[in-house]
Amino acid sequence: MVALARKTLVYEWRRFLPAILAVGFAGLLQLLQAALVLGIFGSASVYITGSSADLWAGYPGTQSVNLGRPIDAGVEMRLRMDPAVSQVEPFHWVDADWRGPNDTGGVSVFVSGIDTRAEGMLFAHALPVGLRARLNEPDAVIVDRADLGSLGVKVGDKAVINGHRVRVVGVSSGLRALGGVNVVASLATAAELDTDPANVNRMTYFVAKLRNPAQAEAVAARLRGTTAFGSYDVWTARDFARRSQLYWMFDTGAGAGVLFLAGIVFLVGAVITSQTLVAAVIGSVREYATLNALGVGVGALRKVVMEQAFWVGAIGLVGSAVLGGIFFAFARSRSVPVALDPLTTAACLLLGMGLAIVSGLAAMRSLRRADPASLLR
Amino acid sequence: MASATPASATISLQARGVAKSFESGRVRSTVLHDLTLDMRSGELTLISGPSGCGKSTLLAILSGLQRPDSGQVTALGQDLGQLDIRALERFRLLHTGFVFQGFNLFPALNAVEQVELPLSYLGLAPREARRRAVASLEEVGLGPRMRLRPSELSGGEKQRVAIARALAKEPELLFADEPTSALDAANGQTIIDILHRIARAHGTTVLCVSHDPRLVGHADRVLAMEDGRILSDRSQPSLPDAVPGLKESAS
Repeated sequence: MVALARKTLVYEWRRFLPAILAVGFAGLLQLLQAALVLGIFGSASVYITGSSADLWAGYPGTQSVNLGRPIDAGVEMRLRMDPAVSQVEPFHWVDADWRGPNDTGGVSVFVSGIDTRAEGMLFAHALPVGLRARLNEPDAVIVDRADLGSLGVKVGDKAVINGHRVRVVGVSSGLRALGGVNVVASLATAAELDTDPANVNRMTYFVAKLRNPAQAEAVAARLRGTTAFGSYDVWTARDFARRSQLYWMFDTGAGAGVLFLAGIVFLVGAVITSQTLVAAVIGSVREYATLNALGVGVGALRKVVMEQAFWVGAIGLVGSAVLGGIFFAFARSRSVPVALDPLTTAACLLLGMGLAIVSGLAAMRSLRRADPASLLR
Repeated sequence: MASATPASATISLQARGVAKSFESGRVRSTVLHDLTLDMRSGELTLISGPSGCGKSTLLAILSGLQRPDSGQVTALGQDLGQLDIRALERFRLLHTGFVFQGFNLFPALNAVEQVELPLSYLGLAPREARRRAVASLEEVGLGPRMRLRPSELSGGEKQRVAIARALAKEPELLFADEPTSALDAANGQTIIDILHRIARAHGTTVLCVSHDPRLVGHADRVLAMEDGRILSDRSQPSLPDAVPGLKESAS
């Protein structure tokens, strides 16, 4: 079989270049958009995904981790009583006001009070052991490298949170917050920063590790049933993380914006690609008509057009994958929050291929002009 | 499925009372008036006449690319009016070859690929398709240039590739529409000689439409057309069919 589609694509690559670029850029835009959205809204749940806990216990109905309200400290006992639970740890969340040494005005910060032991679960993935240990000093805090500028500090500087002096003892990476700045402190420091007298003997969350993490769903359901220590709810880490991300995505309207933009990118890409493919078909319409005169069926000619559309899509998407990888690495190196999972990547690439296929179908229609009788005159 | 068996031993293509007219706005112009015609295999028939006389329409109808308003076309014993579009495509694939005024070669393919392309749709094995393509190109004298693309070939060579493309299918019917009008005298001469030789060597019915008066002397039979009617039908004495530089076919 003569590979007409591929040979034409190689020989007349200039003709197909706009389509390849359109598919490539559409794919790249979808990838970058998805990576940014997942990265930005993924940081809404960094407290959960950066920690090694399997279960989270918090105030009932909490829609996002940053909206937690205090629950009774007795919940810790309830969690410890369950035989499936191997470790329990409190998480103290304080919404606070930061005043730096330099002229940065007030900055709204989220103080995370965590267990600083090496085996602590909170931020187990985000903070190395040495850095955690430094939080044991009184009034020590850690901030994210990306936030140093907005806080107006560097390591070693002093600042004031809720009227209380603190000292920056280190910087983390990957702890950027949404709608504010993350500050990590020990449980003791956080308790001092919490100015609400009602929060004594209360804690924002308790997190738990299970002997068998696979049982998380079942254990959460079991713990959720009791009300012995006031009202609280228990979620698996996965559910709570997703809940927080979805809250941000839809509460801010960003989700709708993303879908709208994806639609626009698809439409523009499809228009350029289909016009290019149509032009390519028209450019060869006499040759196609000759093949039809020689008895090659219209179906076979359509297959040639669709094969070209497929290759245009494949080449374009290889380009967008390579460029996307480069941008991704660059963004990571600049602490821009980007994240991609294989499923989303596949979905973006599939969307790009769908664009090419739709364009091929549109171009196929112009094969109607390949009427062999029109060659006789 | 079309039958390949001719109705008669010699008559391969028949038109009976064929008429065709076109409408443009309110004006209805008749292009073909009740034509009746028989064509024999192994002959090169030339239909000549001024432009607009209906000769291309006649070719389109005889080759099954267009349907007549009335009348009947029988090709190789098959009434073309009874075939649907698919069956007509299949009939053309198996039995007919075409050569057009524009050579209509794919710019991306070299000569041997141009010829192989329709063969692959015949269901031939790649090796057999290649063998036939090479043989056809050698028959039209392009053996040494079969790796070249259209942009590297002269007009006459391109038309020879187009003829090889039609010939490689081993068709019983070969239709040519103004095959020489884009070529100079020498190349036109070569082309018409090749077509004539194909009729002789393969027993193919070759129907050539042209207003080129230089071709008249090379045809076995000349039909002169004007205003949708055949004015004269002359058979000519046998012609010498030697073409310098071409290999004798082993058909």
